[in-house]
Amino acid sequence: MANIFPRFSNWLPIKILVCLTIIAVSVVSGMSYYFTPKYTRVGYQPTQPAAFDHSLHVNQLGMDCRYCHTGVEKSSHSNVPGTQTCMNCHTQIKSQSSKLSAVRDSWKTGNPVPWVRIHKAPDYVYFNHAVHVNRGVSCVACHGHVNHMEVVYHAKPHSMGWCLECHRAPENHLRPLDQVTNLDWEPPTGTTQREIGEKFVKEWNVKPPVSCSGCHR
Amino acid sequence: MKRTLSHPSPAPNGRTYWRSLGEYSRTPDFEEWLHREFPAGAAEWENDPLSRRNFLRLMGASLALAGLSLSGCRRPEAHLVPFTQSPEWVIPGKKMSFATAQPRRRGAVPLLATTFDGRPIKMEGNPLHPLSLGASDNFSQASILDLYDPARRQHPTRSGKKISSSDWDAEIARIRYESASTAGSSLAILSDELLSPTRDRLRAELLKQFPQATWATYEPLAPEKDLEASSLVFGDNTEFRPNLSAASTILSLDCDFLGSDEGDISDTRGFAAGRRTRKPGDSTNRLYVAEPRFSLTGTMADHRLRLRSGSMGPFLLELARQIRTAKPSADLNTLLSQSPDLALPEGVDPAWIRECAADLVAHGKQSLILVGRRLPVSLQALVLALNAALGAVGSTLIVQPRRSIPSSNINQLAGKIRSGAIRTLIILGGDPVYNAPADLNWPALQSSVPNTIHLAHLPNATSKQSTWSIPGTHYLESWGDALASDGSYLSIQPMIQPLWDGQSQLDLLSKLLGQPKPIGPRLIRDTFAQRTNLSGEKFDLAWNDFVREGFLSSPTSTLPPRAPNLSSVAGLLSKIENSAPEDICSLEFNFIQSGAVDDGRYANNGWMQEWPDPMTKLTWDNAILMSQDTAKSLGLKNEIIKGILVADVVQATLAGRSVEAPALIVPGHANFSVSLPLGYGQEELGSVAKGSGFNAYSLRTSLADYQGAGLQLKKLGKTRELAVTQEHQVMEGRDLVREATVSEFQKDPAWVKTVGMDAHIPKNQSFYPNPKLDGQHQWAMVVDLSTCTGCNACVTACTAENNIPIVGKDQVMKGREMHWIRVDRYFTGEPDAPESVSQPIACMQCENAPCETVCPVNATVHNEEGLNVMAYNRCIGTRYCANNCPYKVRRFNFFDYNQRALDKLYWGPLAPKGTEETIKLQKNPNVTVRMRGVMEKCTFCVQRIEDAKITARVRARDSADLKIPKGTLKTACQQACPAEAIVFGDLLDESSEVTQQRALPQNYSLLEYLNVRPRLTYLGRIRNPNPAMPGAKTSYNTPHGHGESHAETTHTNQESSSHKSEGTHK
Repeated sequence: MANIFPRFSNWLPIKILVCLTIIAVSVVSGMSYYFTPKYTRVGYQPTQPAAFDHSLHVNQLGMDCRYCHTGVEKSSHSNVPGTQTCMNCHTQIKSQSSKLSAVRDSWKTGNPVPWVRIHKAPDYVYFNHAVHVNRGVSCVACHGHVNHMEVVYHAKPHSMGWCLECHRAPENHLRPLDQVTNLDWEPPTGTTQREIGEKFVKEWNVKPPVSCSGCHR
Repeated sequence: MKRTLSHPSPAPNGRTYWRSLGEYSRTPDFEEWLHREFPAGAAEWENDPLSRRNFLRLMGASLALAGLSLSGCRRPEAHLVPFTQSPEWVIPGKKMSFATAQPRRRGAVPLLATTFDGRPIKMEGNPLHPLSLGASDNFSQASILDLYDPARRQHPTRSGKKISSSDWDAEIARIRYESASTAGSSLAILSDELLSPTRDRLRAELLKQFPQATWATYEPLAPEKDLEASSLVFGDNTEFRPNLSAASTILSLDCDFLGSDEGDISDTRGFAAGRRTRKPGDSTNRLYVAEPRFSLTGTMADHRLRLRSGSMGPFLLELARQIRTAKPSADLNTLLSQSPDLALPEGVDPAWIRECAADLVAHGKQSLILVGRRLPVSLQALVLALNAALGAVGSTLIVQPRRSIPSSNINQLAGKIRSGAIRTLIILGGDPVYNAPADLNWPALQSSVPNTIHLAHLPNATSKQSTWSIPGTHYLESWGDALASDGSYLSIQPMIQPLWDGQSQLDLLSKLLGQPKPIGPRLIRDTFAQRTNLSGEKFDLAWNDFVREGFLSSPTSTLPPRAPNLSSVAGLLSKIENSAPEDICSLEFNFIQSGAVDDGRYANNGWMQEWPDPMTKLTWDNAILMSQDTAKSLGLKNEIIKGILVADVVQATLAGRSVEAPALIVPGHANFSVSLPLGYGQEELGSVAKGSGFNAYSLRTSLADYQGAGLQLKKLGKTRELAVTQEHQVMEGRDLVREATVSEFQKDPAWVKTVGMDAHIPKNQSFYPNPKLDGQHQWAMVVDLSTCTGCNACVTACTAENNIPIVGKDQVMKGREMHWIRVDRYFTGEPDAPESVSQPIACMQCENAPCETVCPVNATVHNEEGLNVMAYNRCIGTRYCANNCPYKVRRFNFFDYNQRALDKLYWGPLAPKGTEETIKLQKNPNVTVRMRGVMEKCTFCVQRIEDAKITARVRARDSADLKIPKGTLKTACQQACPAEAIVFGDLLDESSEVTQQRALPQNYSLLEYLNVRPRLTYLGRIRNPNPAMPGAKTSYNTPHGHGESHAETTHTNQESSSHKSEGTHK
């Protein structure tokens, strides 16, 4: 009896199996990469040219975020401080520390310190710091507890879904305006964040945009 | 019930609107072109050897290769680079506005420059200055791109070689030494016209140091004939300007005051103010126009007469006689006693002139006669005298002290050069090698001077021929001052350090004077101190105000009304002649300013090259404009082949000089007369200017400077493809523009609803659920067609604001221009003497947007505030939305226009990728720069809306008051519009201008029967014809009878009854 299947078909099941395995592996690895916080850079913690310690400056010395990030309440962009801001104190304090050599060099030469960027929205996203911090959204909502970080890292995913979680339910994040830069603030005992947030949503007429044009222009 | 929706047959109102001669005659080529959704080839790669199939194969392979390495997955490390020392006031990411001004030959434009992080990105009018009140025009909008032009020279050169600053210092010292020994007789300076008091001061100082030096001024498009006429009639050192806001009857004789050549922003504003008719009973001004070429002013005319400029003389004399008949006066008798008796040109109805004169006389000092500054002095002087006779002087015609200093002209300078006296020639700005009168043979003349120095913003033909070529600064890079057209004193402050090693004219002059390099505004401060006579603290306060507000707030100087010197005019009148023979072998020519490139200075500006001329809709080229009859006599044709306008090329010969140029047939042009736009054909200027148009300067001589007769045209048998946008995105005759006379409007204020299908549409239902419109604002826009002049300032402003790329001539010919707002220009009536209407079309932001329902990826959706928003990063480029858009307002990025050289678009990955660094600086950081394969369209400037909302919220903090203060939110087109024809605002605000205008009875939306519910609506155009005029239209509409059935299928209303009504004139 003639063979129904040609000779090459002997290898066919194995070929199919290999293909399916490759597809399955790539789908699984793709998913596990692109759909996890790793892709959104959570945990990204580059080495900075000068080892600035937020926990020391904020938690121990009690400096306000806005001492350095001066534009955060006025501008879309929250600026990184200029060398001058560092040197306001560090001409007196730790003026010879080796950790500050990059800052001193910058002050001497006039070349800026090339701080490594951690949080970056894509070019087609127009995020505005001023409108968030002026309407009761704390720094901690997006940047995590920077005041406890010795070296700053990317704490939250900053994906569109994550943005919309808050834009759809702002009451989960609103706090009194004078507590916006107090990253350790907790709702007073006896109240919940939700109660306080709902009160502010109503009183301040908070309606965050959820349409495309809110962020994409 | 099944409903078949067909578009109504064209023109149920009895009027046909057409946009081109092809459409008028409905040639088969045009029909085919029209019925394609996109122009032929718009979706093809026809110039490319790579077929679609091969392309897909290649892409598949490269995708597979890309998959092997995951290099594209990681984000690159980015840096945040703060200031070392923060400058005062600067908040990174926040825009700042500074007052400045753009110098122009006729008077500077007061402006506000928007800067982002130290780089100017957008110009707006200065809202404080009465001439602008926030409005601007095409050239001031486009001038920002000139700052960042990659063709700018970076270093001074000598004979093409880079030189150091010490070489330059040595050269200046040498010139000073040489000039001192000759008292300056060997030194000549040829400058452009800046109207800068500081430059005038330095000039006076220079002439004091070197008394024998020659200072000549040359501006190719600034005839001084108006100044001459003014000094004859009103006395020495006077000039005049119109005050159109006071005028209710205007006659314009070849004076395009609504275009950019003759008038300025305030003229358009003043005219629009008199034109605006909101409710029956409002007064409407009336405009008569007699002109050779259909100009923007002609489109606004209630009565337009096409008249060769050579026939203006007999026309004017007849007008003067008719004015004398209507208002007898001894002055006019003496004036006309010596005038020749010329026959009226053929085709001019004496009744036209009679009734026009009667109307002018009836309105006395509210009437105004304007005359083109290019016309002979005798005619201009006569018009000034007539204005005086009408009582217009001091009311609609303002006489003011002359602003410019008289100096020698280029012919006198040429004489001196020929005599060999000039050893050093310094050319400040301008490009005489390109645009000097051809009879001077300037290139040879300039070469005969041993030492020439050229200071200019862009390296041009003159720089190339000069020994020393010094890069000049842009007006946004240097301190300066200038006079506006009303004589007010404006400050020019720099927005950015000079990008390259450039210097300003003031720097060069002060160096030449042996003064130290001026630091900051020192020179301007000195002039300011002289003008204000202030010192000490008072000076500082006044100076700060001057710089902050951009101008010196003092009453502008007008001269008291004075009796015209009629005897000097009477002597001139004998020279008036009919200089326009009707001879096809000796045509009349008019050298005109190009609306796009001015006298040629914007020829390397991509925005202006791609700017469709308001009347011809021609881009990237100029052409000899002529009427249908003239073209027929010469055997010339314009054909549409595969959707591209192919024009016959002619050889134009004038007094032995000739040039090859395409001939473009335009409706409404006078017969036996042609117009030649100047400014094109510059091969030396840069990659943008290269290859566009022909150089009309090569025909122009000192005598044949603006108009005359004797031009010969010879058909060459060659053709040239022209990129004309007038047929792109055609909507056919569906009652898109609606017009009525004042009397029709008074009879039925809601006349727009009786036009077309509007009276017949049944209550419509939408198949899709309406979007939820529950936002805190509901945005809408209204455009008033009565005041829109069609000047295109909105197009340029939108281009600047929204990072709209230019696509180049080839792409425009395929219908791929990217302008988000276009101005449709319709003609109506006979092609020889049509009327014209302009209609700006942007995205209508339909509430039931047809584009949204077909997008497979939800890239275009509705937001809660009624905007049809576009998420570029979601768009996958199916172009379904553009196919489904009834208004054809969506634009597709067929190529990466921002990243690729326009002449290498088809090279694909073989061409270098990237934008010029300087061009990047211009981009608005708040608008995405779109890439290839993405659909885009007008968003009502959503970035401005969001910015205004954010500002309101930042201000509100913990209160609920989120109101956006009135006047703080304007779209770019609205802000630029000098006629204030565009209003934009919130429909939920009862008091907003847009709510009130939408409630007006003359408000209508385009294609209402489609039930897409546009948020952009129009106010029907109201014309004000004089019923006594010959051929006056009394009715623009044939209203629908309501007795017939409201047919749901194709509407065929042939009703012929018409309102016969008389126009009234307030």
